[in-house]
Amino acid sequence: MEALHPRIRLLWIAQAALAAIVAGVALAVVDVRVASLPIAVPIGVVAIGAVLGIVYAVVLYRQWRFELQDDALYLERGVITFVETAVPFVRVQHVDTQFGPVERVLGLSSVVVYTAGSRNADVRVPGLTPDRARKLQNTLRELAVDSEADDGV
Amino acid sequence: MASSETNRLHPFSAVMATIQRGVVGLSMPFFLIGMLSGLTDAVDPVWSVYLAPIGLVVGVAYGLAYYYRFEYELTRDTFDLSSGVFSRRSREIPFGRIQNVDVRQGVVQQLLGVAVVTVETAGGGETEAQLNVVSEDEANRLRREIRRLTAAAAAERSAEEATNEHGRAGGDETADLEADATGSEAIDRELETGGEPTRLFELSARELLLYSFTSFSFAAVGGVLFLLFFANDAAFGILLSLAEPLGGPATLDSASPLEYGVFGLVSLFNGLAVTYLLSVVYAFLGYYGFQVGRAGDDLVYERGLLQRYSGSIPLEKVQSLTVSDNPLQRRIGYAGLWIETAGYGPDSSGGSQSAIPLARKRRVYGFAERLSGLERPSFRRPTTVARRRYLGRYSIVAGVVVAGAFGFSLVTALENWWLAAVVFLVVPPAAHLRWANLGYYVGDRNLVIRSGFWKRRTTVVPYYRLQTVSTRRSVFQRRLGLASLVVDTASSRTFFWATPTIYDLEYEVARELRETTRERLQSALRERAESSNSDDGGGGVSVAFT
Repeated sequence: MEALHPRIRLLWIAQAALAAIVAGVALAVVDVRVASLPIAVPIGVVAIGAVLGIVYAVVLYRQWRFELQDDALYLERGVITFVETAVPFVRVQHVDTQFGPVERVLGLSSVVVYTAGSRNADVRVPGLTPDRARKLQNTLRELAVDSEADDGV
Repeated sequence: MASSETNRLHPFSAVMATIQRGVVGLSMPFFLIGMLSGLTDAVDPVWSVYLAPIGLVVGVAYGLAYYYRFEYELTRDTFDLSSGVFSRRSREIPFGRIQNVDVRQGVVQQLLGVAVVTVETAGGGETEAQLNVVSEDEANRLRREIRRLTAAAAAERSAEEATNEHGRAGGDETADLEADATGSEAIDRELETGGEPTRLFELSARELLLYSFTSFSFAAVGGVLFLLFFANDAAFGILLSLAEPLGGPATLDSASPLEYGVFGLVSLFNGLAVTYLLSVVYAFLGYYGFQVGRAGDDLVYERGLLQRYSGSIPLEKVQSLTVSDNPLQRRIGYAGLWIETAGYGPDSSGGSQSAIPLARKRRVYGFAERLSGLERPSFRRPTTVARRRYLGRYSIVAGVVVAGAFGFSLVTALENWWLAAVVFLVVPPAAHLRWANLGYYVGDRNLVIRSGFWKRRTTVVPYYRLQTVSTRRSVFQRRLGLASLVVDTASSRTFFWATPTIYDLEYEVARELRETTRERLQSALRERAESSNSDDGGGGVSVAFT
């Protein structure tokens, strides 16, 4: 089983921090416009949000595992709900590599595997180095082609 | 062979398009000039009088151009469609990719002998091709031709595969001969039946009435809300006059709390009655004259009184089958059968089409068994730990209700809030019923999943149709050592129709089942590859009807 790149934690922490700051700013606006709040409220919200975000990121990183098995891409992840998914190679429609602005700064990339399913139709493996992402994309593509694309649709 | 000339829509659509676009063209100047003259004095409202005729002419011309620029054609392998006046779009849909073809006719369209034809492929949020409108004969011809050409294309494809296989072995010529034979055979079979489907099921008057009265459609709720929204004065007047003899208020403005209470209660009851009646009427109109048959390798259906629906579903495209029943229907021993494909149906119910709206349970299961090659399922239930979980879950919901009543009593004159605690009485039976209606069966070719009390669904998923398989464990499930198994198929289900899930298995069982289904998918794929080489079509859904 393969783990994600440790730097992915920074990405998740940054996302959580951003959400906490947005909530803090919203509360500050409420404080000025609607009703005065004790200064501890926005600060507390940001602090709690940031701590929860860090804990979440660390735990999620520890939970995330993926593996290429004989017939399927297998993934495990989730903090609140732990999900183990098998994506059979035959069902792979196409494979993307993607990275957002923050991921680019951190030197990370994601692989997204698309199936014809309704739920879990796109499966994302985040936190890969660009090299690893490209390699995984190529491997998946070859495996999908080898298994004689039969998408069951 | 295939007809290769291009076709236009029925002239009636030209009339409709010109009227529609003409009206838009006529009203546009009034709208624009009205807005602009409000902004600046340089624009005089009178201009719209001169501009409106120009708008009308442009609109009519556009409507006509749209009609003349809309063309469709059946080629050997594809259904081609090109449309658009200024920006052109040409679309080619390979026959092998077509999920279902549906024909729809409203009341006026029936009188004029025209119909709307829609062609669906998998994926995408909308219908891939819509012919609005063609003549009835043309609609039937299209459906027949698409079916014939799809069969021919499939035969050719498998023949080609066979040629390649044999080619390697060095037996080119025999393979070619074989291929020709199978190709023409399929078409002969089609011609023999003359495109007339063999009837498999017809909804009797008794079944139609039972279905109308025992099922509930959410469209009725929408209808009632629509009535309340657009005719609220009249609706309130009627509700008031209905509640008054029972102690309701004379007007809404001045009334005692008791009168308001009576009014609320009586109106709620009336609202439910109207919703139910609407639902009965909706179901009756929608499923009047329902019948399903088989033509070639397609299921063809027909239904509806005012709005006629008909269409065909290739058996090869059936993703899963669902037997659905509610407590009333179970009581009288009836159930319905629904077929899911990856396209969109004519209803708002995603890719789900009715194969049997309602019939005796035995008949429905028999039909499902023949359709999917399913043996008689013997259901297994998740552990009783699951029932304990629902007991806990529903207790929390009941607790929230009681807390709500308490909160309500703080801000109003309501006393005796603790009476709300009676909801706890419902918790144990609710938990038991939820658990008792869960079930699953691991068949030879299909996985069968059952859940739900109010609308119990028993879904038959062929292993061959599996997309992804997941186990999910929430924090609560992990504490109890439980897991849910989610099996995803390619279908365009809506909000109401969730992904097939076996809820709250023991984790070990769920994991084993996940591995089993994965293996069965692989063996189903191998089996299918072998049978397509030997050229008898096998696969997930068998076509062996009796």
